Amino acid sequence: MADLSIAAACKRFGETEVLRDVSIEVADGEFAVIVGPSGCGKSTLLRAVAGLEHLTSGRIRIGARDVTALPPSQRGIAMVFQSYALYPHLTAYENMAFGLRIAKAGRAEIDAAVRRAAAILSIESLLDRKPAALSGGQRQRVAIGRAIVRQPQLFLFDEPLSNLDADLRGRMRHEFAALHRTLGTTTLYVTHDQIEAMTLADRIVVLRDGRIEQAGAPRDLYARPDTLFVAQFLGTPQMTALPATMAEDGRARLAGGHAVALPPLAAPPPPGAAVTLGIRPEDVAIGATANALPFTIAFAERLGGLATLHLEGPGGVLTCQIRDDGSLNEGDAVPVTLPPARLHLFDAAGKRLRSVDE
Amino acid sequence: MMRRWTVTLLAAFVALVTIAPLLWMVSVSFMAPGEAARFPPPLLPENATLENYRQLFGTYGALRFLANSLLVSTLATTLALLFTVPAGYAFAKLRFRGRDATFRLLVAALVVPAQIGMLPLFLELKAMGLVNSYAGALVPWLAGIFGIFLVRQYCLSIPDEMLEAARIDGAGEGAILRRIVLPVLTPIIVTLALFVFLSSWNDFMWPLIILADQRLYTLPVALAALSREHVQDNELMMAGAVVTTLPVLILFLALQRFYLNGLLAGSVKG
Ligand SMILES: Nc1ncnc2c1ncn2[C@@H]1O[C@H](COP(=O)(O)OP(=O)(O)OP(=O)(O)O)[C@@H](O)[C@H]1O
Ligand SMILES: [Mg+2]
Repeated sequence: MADLSIAAACKRFGETEVLRDVSIEVADGEFAVIVGPSGCGKSTLLRAVAGLEHLTSGRIRIGARDVTALPPSQRGIAMVFQSYALYPHLTAYENMAFGLRIAKAGRAEIDAAVRRAAAILSIESLLDRKPAALSGGQRQRVAIGRAIVRQPQLFLFDEPLSNLDADLRGRMRHEFAALHRTLGTTTLYVTHDQIEAMTLADRIVVLRDGRIEQAGAPRDLYARPDTLFVAQFLGTPQMTALPATMAEDGRARLAGGHAVALPPLAAPPPPGAAVTLGIRPEDVAIGATANALPFTIAFAERLGGLATLHLEGPGGVLTCQIRDDGSLNEGDAVPVTLPPARLHLFDAAGKRLRSVDE
Repeated sequence: MMRRWTVTLLAAFVALVTIAPLLWMVSVSFMAPGEAARFPPPLLPENATLENYRQLFGTYGALRFLANSLLVSTLATTLALLFTVPAGYAFAKLRFRGRDATFRLLVAALVVPAQIGMLPLFLELKAMGLVNSYAGALVPWLAGIFGIFLVRQYCLSIPDEMLEAARIDGAGEGAILRRIVLPVLTPIIVTLALFVFLSSWNDFMWPLIILADQRLYTLPVALAALSREHVQDNELMMAGAVVTTLPVLILFLALQRFYLNGLLAGSVKG
C-alpha cells in the first residue's frame, strides 16, 4: 500500500486550463473524495493519476515512486469508470481475470484471485454471465471486482454510483465504506454528490474550475467552510446566504433594514462593507425573542418526520429545517432568530470572515 | 392481427418475385438443349438431364475456373480484412498526426467511380510487371475505402473507457486490438468479409482486363468467353450461372447468424 502525492498539477487542453496548480496529499490507507460541480476537472485529475492523461506540468508520486511518466499499467493503480467499461464479449469471470491473463499469471493464481474478489463482493453466482445479462448494480460490482483483482496500491473511482437508482446508490455507498475497511487500500474517489463525499471520505477535496477550493476532514469543511462556495456545496438543504452590510455598531444590516448580531470577528470589515450571512437550515431558531426577525412560510416541504421550510422576510429567502409536528403551515408568520454563534460570515469576494475563537 | 398478415403476405410476395428467376435458372440448367427457347417457355424440364453440367465440367473444364474464383475471392477477402480492419480501427481510436485529414481525403476519393481508376491502375500494374497475374487481380481489393469507412464507423461506437480499462489492465495496443476490439467487431467483420467475397466473386471487369491467360480466368470471365461461342445454348449457360451463384448463396446463408447482431450490449451503462 502507498500514499499519493499530487504536486502543482496543471492541465491544459489547447487554450482551456482544466487543472490549475492542484496539490493533494492522500495518506496511506486514506479514503479521499474529490467533489465539485460538473466540468470542474475531477475526471481529468483522476485520469492524470491513472496515467490516461498527461499533465501539462506538475508531478505525481505513488508510494516511493514518481509515476508522472509511467504508463497506466505500471502505476500500481486500478480504476473503476463511471460507465463500468466492462468487456462485453467476456464473462464476469474473464472480465476480472483479464489483467492477470495479460500478465501471464498461472491458472490457479488467477482462479484464487477472481474467487476471492467475487466472495468479497458476493457475486460468485454471476461469474459465468456476460455483462449484457447483468443488472446495473451487478455490472458495477464486476467492475469493482476487476479493480480488486489487480491488488492495486491505489484505487481510483470516477463517479461509480451515478448510474444507479437512489436506493441502490445508498446501499452501494455502505458497501464502499465496508470494502475500504476490509481492504484498507488508499482510495481516490470522484463524485459530484456531496452526500457521498460527506459519508465516505476521510478527506474531502472541493474542486472548482480546476482549482482546489478547500481540503480537509468532512466535519471541518462543514463546520468551517473557507468560502461561500464550499459552504453552499456541502449540506442539504443548502446553507442560506443573506446579503447584508456592516453597520456602525458592529452588527450587520439586512436588505430590509433589520439588524443582526454577529459573532466577534477577528478582523471586522469597516462599516458599509458588503458581507454575506450564512446560516445552515438546522441552525435557524424559530420562536419569539427580543430581536427576532419577522418571516412568513412561503413553502413547506414535509418529509414525514422533518420539514424544510422556505421562509420569506426581511433580507431574502431563508431555508430552515425543523421537526414537523404539523403546527406550522404555509402563510403562517414565524419569528426567526439567527444565533450569532451559528452564523457564517463571508466578505464580498465570498471568503470566510473568521471569528475570534477560530 | 390484420396488419401482421398483410406484412407477411407482402414479404412472401416480394420473396417470391426475387427467388422466381433463380429457381427457373436452376430448372433450365437441367433441360435438354433448346428446350428453354420454346414458346411458351416451360417451367420444369420434360426430361431432367445432367448433360449441361457434364459438358460444363468435362468439355470446358469449369472446375479449374471454379477453383480460380475460390482462390482469388478467398485471398481478396483475407487481404482486405488484414488491411481494412486495423486501418478502420486506427482512424477511429488512435491519435496520430494527420489522422482526420487523411481520412477526409479517403472519403472524398470514395466518390470517384472505380471505372475511372481502372486505366491508371492498369498502367501502374503494367509498369510493376503484375499484369496477367493474381497479384494484379487482387490489388484493387487490398484496402477498400468503403471497408475502412465501415470499420471506422463501427469502431467509433466502442467506448474509449473500455480501451482505457484494458490499457490499465496492462494490455498493449496489439493485445487490445486482438483481445478486445476484434471480438467486439465480429459482426461487422463477418459482414465486411461477405461483402468483399461477394464483390470479388462476381467481379467481371477487372479480371477481364488484367488476366490475359485463359488458364487464370475466374468463373465470370470464363463463362463470358464461353457464352460468346454458345450464344444459343441457354441451358448450358444456366448451368454455368448455377455454378457461379450457388457457392455465394450457401456462404451467405451459413454466415447469416453472425452479421449485425447486438455487438456492444452490456459494456457500458444502459
Ligand atoms: N480531451 C479534452 N479536450 C478538451 N477539453 C476537455 C477534454 N477533456 C475534458 N475537457 C474539458 O475539461 C473540463 C473538465 O472536464 P472533466 O471531465 O474533468 O470534468 P468533471 O469534473 O469530471 O465533470 P463531470 O462531473 O461532468 O464528469 C471540461 O470543461 C471539459 O470540457
Ligand atoms: Mg467526470
